[in-house]
Amino acid sequence: MRSYFIRQTFMNIRKNLSVHILSLGTIVASLLILGAFLLLFGNLNNWLQRWGTALSMSIYLKDGISEYRRDKVYSFIRGLPEAEIKRFISKEEALKDLRAALGDDAGFLNRLGRNPLPASYEVVFESKGTHGVEPEKIKGELEKLDGVEEVQYSNEWLNKIEGFLNVVRLIGFIIGGLLCLCVVFIVTNTIKLTIYSRKDEIEILKLVGATDWFVKTPFLIEGMIEGISGGVLAVLMLFSGYLILPTKGVSLFGLTPLDFVFLPAGYLVLILILGAVLGVIGSFIAIGRFFAV
Amino acid sequence: MIQLFDLSKKFGPNVALNDIRLRIRQGEFVFVTGPSGAGKTTLLRLIFGAEKPASGYILINAVNLNRISRPKLDLLRRKIGFVFQDFKLLPRKTVFENVAIALEVIGLRPKFVRKKTHQTLRLVGLAEKENSYPLSLSGGEQQRVAIARAIVKDPLILLADEPTGNLDPQLTMEIMELFKSIHRKGTTVVVATHSQELLEATDCRTIVLNRGKISEDTS
Repeated sequence: MRSYFIRQTFMNIRKNLSVHILSLGTIVASLLILGAFLLLFGNLNNWLQRWGTALSMSIYLKDGISEYRRDKVYSFIRGLPEAEIKRFISKEEALKDLRAALGDDAGFLNRLGRNPLPASYEVVFESKGTHGVEPEKIKGELEKLDGVEEVQYSNEWLNKIEGFLNVVRLIGFIIGGLLCLCVVFIVTNTIKLTIYSRKDEIEILKLVGATDWFVKTPFLIEGMIEGISGGVLAVLMLFSGYLILPTKGVSLFGLTPLDFVFLPAGYLVLILILGAVLGVIGSFIAIGRFFAV
Repeated sequence: MIQLFDLSKKFGPNVALNDIRLRIRQGEFVFVTGPSGAGKTTLLRLIFGAEKPASGYILINAVNLNRISRPKLDLLRRKIGFVFQDFKLLPRKTVFENVAIALEVIGLRPKFVRKKTHQTLRLVGLAEKENSYPLSLSGGEQQRVAIARAIVKDPLILLADEPTGNLDPQLTMEIMELFKSIHRKGTTVVVATHSQELLEATDCRTIVLNRGKISEDTS
C-alpha cells in the first residue's frame, strides 16, 4: 500500500506540475521572507547579547584628588569582579579628546580659564554581562568613595535597544503568522485543484471499496512534499544570499565590529519542519472540505 | 443473501422503484430485465450502497445498508464486484493498473496483486493489452476490463449492469461463461440486461421490472 501511496503522490504532482511549480514558488517566497526575518532577528539578538556582556563604566574623579585617594579608587575597581581598567584619562587627555571631537568648533575652549573636565577611569566588565554584574549597585558603591565625583555606565541605552528588539519580535510574530497562513492557503488551493482533477478517479476508488484514508493519504503526502520542498529551496536561497553578502562584519554605534552569522542548524530544521507541517495542514483542510460530500 | 424490504427510490418527482420486495439467496444467479427506465440500474446501485432508498431497507448478509457507517460500507464494497454500464475506467491508468486498483485498495501485497491481476486479465482475454490505456481499446475490450476489475477480488456478490451491451454474440457467450464459472465458485451473480437472446438462452431466475415495480419473477 505504501508503494501505491508514493506512486500516486508523484503521479499527482507530475500531472499537475504547472500548478505545483506556481504554488511552490509562492511557498518558497513566503518561507524565504520568514527565514530572512529569522536571520536578521537572530543576529540582532546575538549583537545585543554581546554588547550586553561588555558593560562599560566611566568613573569621574573629583578635581584635585590626592594620589592616595586615587590609588584607593584604583584598588577598589581592581577588586570588582570581571572588571578591567581599560584606560585612565587624565584631565589633560580628556580636554585633548574633546578638542579632537569638536574639531573646528574647539576655539571656545581656549577662552576657558581652567580645564573643567574631570579625570576618569574607563572600566569594562567582560563576559558575565548585564546578568552577572549589577551596574546600579557598583555605581552606588563607587560614588560613596572619597574622591569619586560621578559614575556613568553604558547599558542604559541597551535597555532601549532591548525594548526595540521586543517590538521587532512582535512584528516578526505577526508577519510570520501571516506568512504561515499564506502557505496554508496556497497548499489548500493547490491540493484542491489536484483533487478536482482526480474527481472521477476518487469516485471510482470509493466504488471499489477504498477507505477515505486510502484516498486522502496521497494528498497529505503531496502537501507535505510541497511544504518540505519549499522549505529546502527557501533555505538554499537564503544561504546563497548570505554567501554573496559583500561583508559579514557589522559595526554599529562605533562599537566592536560584530559578525553577521547564518542561521544555526536548529533554525534550518525549524524552517523545514514548519514547511512540512504547514503543507500537511493545508492538504488536511483541502481534503476535509472535499470529502465532506 | 440480498434482501429488499418495501424498497422505494425517487429522483425528484420521478419514482424509479416502488415498493420492491425481493430475496436473492447466496450463490444464486439472477437476471434483472425490463425496458429502459424500468429501474434496473437503480436497483443494482441501491444493493451496492451507491444510492440511498427513499423508504424501505436493504440487507446484505444481514447488514442493514440504511444504518451502515461509511467505513463499514467501504469494507462491504470490497466483497461486492460491480460492472458499471459506462465501465468507469480510469483513462490515465493502464489496463493492468485499472484492474489492480481493486486489490490495492484492500491493501494486499504487491506481489499477490501482480499475480492475481495477470491471472484475471488472462481469464478475460486481455493479457496482451495490459499496458494499453482504456481509450485505445474497443468498447468490448473496455467492457472486459470493467469485468476483470469486478471479479479480480473474488467477490461474494457480483453485480453487472448491461455487461454484454457492447459485445458481439460470441463475446457475449464467452462473458456469460465467465460469469457462470464465477457463480460456480459460490458467488451470487445479479445481471441487469435487456438482451432477449441472453434471457432466452438461460434457465436462471429472471426478475422483470416495469415502471419501478416487479412485474414477474421466475423463482
